[in-house]
Amino acid sequence: MQMRRSRLVGLFAAGAMVLVACGGAADDGAVDSADAEGDTTDADGGGATDGEEFDVFALLPQGNDQPYGTTYLPPMEAKAAELGINLTITNSQYDADTQASDCEVAVASRPDLIILWPAVGDTIRPCLSAADAAGIPVTITNSDVNPEDKDLTEAFSGPDTYGQGAASAEIMCDLAGGDEIGIIMVNGLTGNSTAINRESGFEETIEAECPNVTILARQPGDWNKDDSQIAASEMITAVGAENIDGAYAADDTMVAGVIDAFIARDMDPADLYITSIGNTFLGNPLVSDGSLDGTVFQSSSWDGENAVVLAHEVLTGQAVEDLFMPSVKVTADNADDPDVAPEW
Amino acid sequence: MTNDTSTGTVSAPKPAALEEKLEEQAFKLSAWMANQGIFIFTAALILFAAVFIDGFVSLPNITDVFNRAAPIGIVAAGMTFVVISGNYLDLSVVAQVATAGVVLIAVSNETSIPVAMLVAVVIALAYGLVNGVAVGVFKANAVIVTLSTTFIGLGLLRWATGGSIYFGPSDGAIRAFGATRIGPLPLAMILFVVVTLILSFVLTRTTFGFMVRSFGSNREATRLSGVSTPWVVIGAFTVTSLAAMLGGFVLAAFSNTAVSAMSDGYDFRALAAIIVGGTSVFGGRGSVLRTLLGVVFVSVLTNIMVLSGLGFGIQQMAIGLLIVLAVSVDALARKATGA
Amino acid sequence: MTDTQTQPQHAETDDARSDLISRVRTILGRRTEGRAVALLSVVVVITAITEPIVFTSYEVTLGRIALIGLVALGLTAVILMGELDLAVASTLAVSGVIMASFESITIGILAALGTGLLIGVVNAFFVIVVGINSFIATLGMLFFLRGAAFVISGEAPVRLANVDAGIAFGRPLIGPLSPRMLIFIAAFVMLHIFLTRVRAGREFYAVGGNREAAHDAGIPVTRRVFTGFMISGFVASLAGVINTLERTAADPTAGSAVLLASFAAAIIGGVLLNGGRGSVFGTLLGASSLGLLQVALTLSGVQVDVQNIVIGSVLLLAVITDPSSLRAAAGSMRALVRSRSGP
Repeated sequence: MQMRRSRLVGLFAAGAMVLVACGGAADDGAVDSADAEGDTTDADGGGATDGEEFDVFALLPQGNDQPYGTTYLPPMEAKAAELGINLTITNSQYDADTQASDCEVAVASRPDLIILWPAVGDTIRPCLSAADAAGIPVTITNSDVNPEDKDLTEAFSGPDTYGQGAASAEIMCDLAGGDEIGIIMVNGLTGNSTAINRESGFEETIEAECPNVTILARQPGDWNKDDSQIAASEMITAVGAENIDGAYAADDTMVAGVIDAFIARDMDPADLYITSIGNTFLGNPLVSDGSLDGTVFQSSSWDGENAVVLAHEVLTGQAVEDLFMPSVKVTADNADDPDVAPEW
Repeated sequence: MTNDTSTGTVSAPKPAALEEKLEEQAFKLSAWMANQGIFIFTAALILFAAVFIDGFVSLPNITDVFNRAAPIGIVAAGMTFVVISGNYLDLSVVAQVATAGVVLIAVSNETSIPVAMLVAVVIALAYGLVNGVAVGVFKANAVIVTLSTTFIGLGLLRWATGGSIYFGPSDGAIRAFGATRIGPLPLAMILFVVVTLILSFVLTRTTFGFMVRSFGSNREATRLSGVSTPWVVIGAFTVTSLAAMLGGFVLAAFSNTAVSAMSDGYDFRALAAIIVGGTSVFGGRGSVLRTLLGVVFVSVLTNIMVLSGLGFGIQQMAIGLLIVLAVSVDALARKATGA
Repeated sequence: MTDTQTQPQHAETDDARSDLISRVRTILGRRTEGRAVALLSVVVVITAITEPIVFTSYEVTLGRIALIGLVALGLTAVILMGELDLAVASTLAVSGVIMASFESITIGILAALGTGLLIGVVNAFFVIVVGINSFIATLGMLFFLRGAAFVISGEAPVRLANVDAGIAFGRPLIGPLSPRMLIFIAAFVMLHIFLTRVRAGREFYAVGGNREAAHDAGIPVTRRVFTGFMISGFVASLAGVINTLERTAADPTAGSAVLLASFAAAIIGGVLLNGGRGSVFGTLLGASSLGLLQVALTLSGVQVDVQNIVIGSVLLLAVITDPSSLRAAAGSMRALVRSRSGP
């Protein structure tokens, strides 16, 4: 209760300052007061007046600590500056509890909107309902929420992580072309949502569309090239090189390790069916030189930029729908196209 | 009051202090037993794997075991110095390994490998100095000091590089080092053995090594005997830092890539290998060669579990059990001989 | 040796001065929370100026403090006895997963808390009965329990059967205080009373200060150590239960930030890692400083890398500016100078 009162006092103070400023110097007063009293701008559009300045919290699970986040942030910030959005970015480092606490902080500071990239998809419903109760709209970026939580969000923009696994599986199915083949699988960090979604996307699509492809062994590669390389090599030993016709890895960094493991065993990756996800600086050249048969383009700049674009559409009251990053399949045919130039 | 006059970080719990006089006789026997223990464990495990696990005894698989062992082994061999000096562990190896790896690849891409190595050496010395001064001079707790240098170090690395992946040219010298083998042995493994032998020599045959060991077993006596203890601690942390740097080089060279998250978990994994090898976490007792055995043991175990298709959860559980078991055997043996 | 010969005439005044200084030091030295008070004051003043919202929406800040502080409170009981519990974060994760595996929330909570107590017993068994250092025993448990959390959960988050109950749990109960904060406050009060007013609790200090003497004085050391580890395990599993309820799901990777943050909170709060000195009040202050710092940094939109640099520097400064550290440094400097001039 005390809180509400203090916020009220703040609002009055802001109003008074605006009046004073308007009385004195006509134009720049509004900007000054918006800056000085940024904390008190309320969800119900109090701050969004002439300049269309918005305060937005972006609750992300990664940032400058991961390759993807490092290239996701700059386009996001640039777009925000362009659209007049004042971004406050947090990074929970994939800790659900930290993100929940970040969410409380965000709700308490009453932004105009919250952009959420769930650290652990199953754990974010309380955050969504808290924002809902406070009247703060929430848009989702990068990894969508569970279907039952969807009604608490405005819209989603980003890649479909499940769909990426599925797309990679479709490439694999095409490569196999009905033959009975065996592959090894390298997954992301154990327990990580993206890792889980991609794994089930790949596996379920294989089961549905080409049951002739058998997953002989699977291990986590922790998104690392070296871990993936050793794990792949050990899986080759476990199931026998002669039984392996290919491999899938959940991202390009790890597939580079798998390919090195094959080369170290004198198995020519060009003869094997290998697919992955990412189309990164590491993966794209591997597609071009024929060792990686296909990958799925994930554009970090698209992702970061559209998170803000979507937020802006919600803030300006436009009708919005989910924005899906196209899951472009990158194979030898289009690897050198400028529109699939790698970004991270 | 007594607590204040003694140095702030004496780690040996009281029962161990009481046993100290028995230590002399018990030491040889228990050391022998512990050594035999890890040796027998390792031999039994390898025998088991050779019989029951298909493909365990094959050239490529042995290479895999060595590739698993080399980077963490070099880090653990160096960290043995901090453990033996009675300062628990160096958590900041996580930051150090990643920094060394990223510096090696990122700086050599811009300039040349020698320059990159020089930069990495300077950084390693800085880590050794900061950790060592805080622990040795200010007598601050090693766990918290190295925890804070981890935060600072990883923060600086990410601030400077972001989380970007760096990779070297595919025909470069770093790549060549990572891929070269002599017979079944990766060059990295040979480096690991050489580093272990050198560090073992330093620990057992040099004055500095003697001071580290005696400081770990009884730091007050070491201080009174006129040895300048801060330098011993700074030295132990510097050895660890240089080894962590080499470990970072090896890890980066193996995959020809480097990223700031590449060494997650190296702190406790290195400590686990040291402990499984039989080095006492009280300080004083232990050797670099035991760490070598511990690293090989953990690598073989992980290799067996991956070959058997066991999941990550089971692997973690087994490593946890193993640590407790290995140390329990040692503790019970010591109890039996001490009684 | 040469030093003392050059300045004999100053010896007396030096003695008197150092006597006074040492007396002041002793008085200050009795309280262990000095560093935490200093740090907290600095953090409070800075955040009050830069991010006043930290205080206007105090329930958010309190929530963050409760998040990092609860586990630290339980840990304090173990550290006071000169032992360590590295397994707290894994205990938190595994008890959350166990709780979410049950259909009924009540049974789930009981099972989770029981697991915490059991883990405490196992830890204490290895430390006391088998006789291995708690650092190692709980390091083994750190790996084992984390693995168990993955195995039980099938390596993915487990959603609560009753999501609405979880959401209701996260709502404010009394005023702006959610059950988490009330439990945190209750845990603090109970532990504080236990360690200062109850004989068994006060004996923790004796066990940590000098275990042999405590044993000779007739204190049941074994039982105290068991109690300590059970408190720590129980509180960690309690935190796991609260997190699982508030998030409506259990995450086997949970607690990654808990272990090191709770150690930091206890040590900033003046709890001596070798046992015998410290208080849960100090831990509370330590957790408050860290929590405030984190919320303020988050609000100001500072990226995690810079946040880490700030928090790491604060930690490092806090440990080396401890009075005993400064004293040690002064002593070391003298030793260095002497050893230099010696040969």
